Amino acid sequence: MTTMTLHPLAADYLERLEHAARSLPRGERRELVAEINAHLAEATDPQMSDAEVLTVLDRLGEPEDIVAAQSPDQPAPRQGPGTQEWVAIVLLLAGGFIVFVGWIVGAVMLWTSRAWRVRDKLIGTLIVPGGLPTAILVLLDLSTPQTCTSLNGGPQHCVGGPSTLHQILSLGLFAFLVLGPIFTAVYLARRAR
Amino acid sequence: MVAIGDSAISQLRRGVLEFCVLAMLRGDERYGFEIVRALSEADGLVTTEGTLYPLLGRLRKEGVVETTWRESPSGPPRRYYRLTPAGHSLLSAFTAEWTRFRDSVDRLLDTGALT
Repeated sequence: MTTMTLHPLAADYLERLEHAARSLPRGERRELVAEINAHLAEATDPQMSDAEVLTVLDRLGEPEDIVAAQSPDQPAPRQGPGTQEWVAIVLLLAGGFIVFVGWIVGAVMLWTSRAWRVRDKLIGTLIVPGGLPTAILVLLDLSTPQTCTSLNGGPQHCVGGPSTLHQILSLGLFAFLVLGPIFTAVYLARRAR
Repeated sequence: MVAIGDSAISQLRRGVLEFCVLAMLRGDERYGFEIVRALSEADGLVTTEGTLYPLLGRLRKEGVVETTWRESPSGPPRRYYRLTPAGHSLLSAFTAEWTRFRDSVDRLLDTGALT
């Protein structure tokens, strides 16, 4: 569907409706938003005064009431993560310590939960797959054994250790690999609905 | 003056509204905005226009109306609603019931007796 230019107040209203409709199944949400979008496009135009647009919005009613009319028998949307969501978050963060399988289980729980939107799920999966344990791999890489030899008390000559550049890069990567999963976990906990 | 319970009136309205929508579609198909505006301009039928869209969606899910999106000469596409055969028979059934119901209530309200 083509996106029409709406009066800023009407566009704002549509955004509130989309937000309120998060709890609805995807198909219903799309239809409802499409209908209200069409209504706004018919009843308002971008040149209208704010007062005129507000009258139209007032006749429509509060977005929350429209969504409630759509799902009269559904309980109010649960706020925050439930048990499945918490388990998923913990497994994504640290489940990889259980021979990596834990992370995969976490990812499956993430994708089967209805508490997150697709964008949240992509972020949860793609920012450092494996979670915290991935950082350990880099740590192991950093500690590649060094062999140092000194001939007849002369200057030490070391081979096999990582170069300085390699060490800096690895440290940066290590910081990202530790902070990334922690940020993702906090993000997921806050986004769950 | 005694106020009428809000919920009693809104229940009555909710019960009847879907048949008002069906009745509007008896002759010809109409698009969402057209239905909503016409109903909201009728006195006392609708309080908020927005809640009619979920009702339209429910009627479609129940199979009493069907819809098609069509381009409009101006603005975004319009969704047109049309009665299905099931919708036609539901509307006739309601019309018969409603007539009996209304007549009895009117008689009681007028005279306080049923004869």
